[in-house]
Amino acid sequence: MMQIKITNPFAKFLVRIADSEIILGQRLAEMCSNAPTLEEDIALSNLGLDCFGRGEELMKLVSALENNAFTPDDCVFRRNEREYFCIKLVEQPNNDFAWVVVRQFLHDVYVTEIFKQLATNEHQELAALSQKVLKEIEYSKMHSFDWLVRLGRGTEESKMRTQNALNVMWKYTEELFLFDEIDKTYLSDTDAIAANWNLGVNEMFAAADLERPADKKRHILDFRKGFHSEFLGLILADMQYLPRAYPDAKW
Amino acid sequence: MDKHEVAFNDLIAQDLKIEPRDWMPEKYRKNLIRQVSQHAHSEIIGMQPEGNWLLRAPSLRAKQVLLAKIQDEAGHGLYLYSVAETLGISRQELVQQLHEGKAKYSSIFNYPTLTWADMGAVGWLVDGAAIVNQVSLQRTSYGPYARSMVRICKEESFHQRQGFEIMVQMAKGTPEQKEMAQDALNRFWEPSLMMFGPHDADSAHSSQSMKWKIKRESNDYLRQKFIDRTVPQIEFLGLTVPDANCKWNEETGHYDHSPFNWDEFWNVVEGNGPCNAERLEHHKKAQSDNAWVREAAYAYAQKTDISAVAQ
Amino acid sequence: MEKGDKVWEVFIQKKAGLAFKHVGNVHGYDKKMAIQNARDLYTRRGEGREIWVVPAEAIVSSPLEQADAFFDPSEDKVYRHPTFYEIPDEVKFI
Repeated sequence: MMQIKITNPFAKFLVRIADSEIILGQRLAEMCSNAPTLEEDIALSNLGLDCFGRGEELMKLVSALENNAFTPDDCVFRRNEREYFCIKLVEQPNNDFAWVVVRQFLHDVYVTEIFKQLATNEHQELAALSQKVLKEIEYSKMHSFDWLVRLGRGTEESKMRTQNALNVMWKYTEELFLFDEIDKTYLSDTDAIAANWNLGVNEMFAAADLERPADKKRHILDFRKGFHSEFLGLILADMQYLPRAYPDAKW
Repeated sequence: MDKHEVAFNDLIAQDLKIEPRDWMPEKYRKNLIRQVSQHAHSEIIGMQPEGNWLLRAPSLRAKQVLLAKIQDEAGHGLYLYSVAETLGISRQELVQQLHEGKAKYSSIFNYPTLTWADMGAVGWLVDGAAIVNQVSLQRTSYGPYARSMVRICKEESFHQRQGFEIMVQMAKGTPEQKEMAQDALNRFWEPSLMMFGPHDADSAHSSQSMKWKIKRESNDYLRQKFIDRTVPQIEFLGLTVPDANCKWNEETGHYDHSPFNWDEFWNVVEGNGPCNAERLEHHKKAQSDNAWVREAAYAYAQKTDISAVAQ
Repeated sequence: MEKGDKVWEVFIQKKAGLAFKHVGNVHGYDKKMAIQNARDLYTRRGEGREIWVVPAEAIVSSPLEQADAFFDPSEDKVYRHPTFYEIPDEVKFI
């Protein structure tokens, strides 16, 4: 059985973002044929395709940094739960459309700040990729912002569902900002990420008439060390089934 | 015959297009709505059997390709609903007819997709059969339908290739993969040939549709064209046609085939196939689970968007 | 039609310098939704530079029953076409 070891610190940093995008893509793909309108179904597929696309590009950088000891597909399909480093936010399920919107919104504001800083990274390929990704995220943000406002200011029910999704998922935003040494090496200003994120989400809470949930001291094990919600194992079980069941096959 | 009908027949005879606001016989309109809605629903319900493997696609490439393909199907369903709307029926009414079992969709989507090889077989055979039909419909007499077919054919040109690529990978892969490929071919071969519809002699709507040039070629003609194209592809894959009578006939210049199991076909059309109930239930559930979202969008639009107040 | 659901006609300009072209329609509950839906459906293959959406109900059509009255009178205005005029052969660039 192939063992995938990521030791290069830069690769360790990038795989966190790559994993997050791919798992979010997987959640968005689940919405295919399940969206509120046919048009929105198409829109969510576009968001999902963008997630997989940038996830794959980042994975290519990861495998290059590890001297191509494994392919991007190996990295996605042959690591187990504890070897994954996605943020817990993107693992959260599509309980209803409000969950899809709130998760996307919180993610979009966060990764905007990350990619903004990576867009000037001295690694040129990464910088170029980040500039391209920023355009995708800008569109995604527009889409999630508009829906957040529609739901927050739509009906009693939509407001209630959206506030509820926000309240439940809020606990997974804390870990986003517990930057470690690796993050601090590759991000130029981690404090700015937290500050801008707070500004960004607060502005949207006002626009959508939603209440910012209370920040509490929590004990949530850090994704940077491979800790996850229970959902990840199930996501991987689906996603990795074929390459795991037929290790010698090429797809 | 009144002057409208003369003008209509004249347009058809000259191979010109009928446009939404032109006079048309009521039966022409009804016939078109039936065919276009069936086509639209097939695209939409067809998302489900492929969606079944979306989360399990075995590579990042395969996953993106499949998602893009299913998304195209949603888009094509949408184009077709919009064609039907030009005939005076709303998307909501069309969907309601689907839910009430009054409107049909292609029976092939009532079969389950059991292995990854089915993604190959569906793209190659099901999309392949659909494309043969759709290419012919680019010349249909109703303008909006013809235009949508042109766009759809252009966009779908990668769908069949995507399926065939999977078949090649699997047929040339490990013994297990090859077995899956043959199994998928066995299950999808006959149903995909029956997608072209009943034999010309038994097709209820065919002759009138041909006269009005809604349909441009007969079911049997298109089916034979598809068989003749596909058998050599099966040989290329090193797989076996799941029909012992499927042999080249020097006299006719076509491949022969065994009689089809029309009992099964009609039984599945009538709702008794392996997945009919599940497909409809899935579609209804997505609609009803999300009703609150559409209500919210409506409420919000009323509060903010002056142009949305109408109706 | 479901409450609030509206049809919007979609026009796309592919490149600067080209005319906007009608490409089809989308459903949407408000302007922003309509424009995003149009983007997501009609520019999946990089076909766009700018999109217009127009509520379908805002479009006014010329009456088809009077198509003859609308368009036939312009058919005999041959003097609107350059070939109507006789220019001596030796004159160039006109």
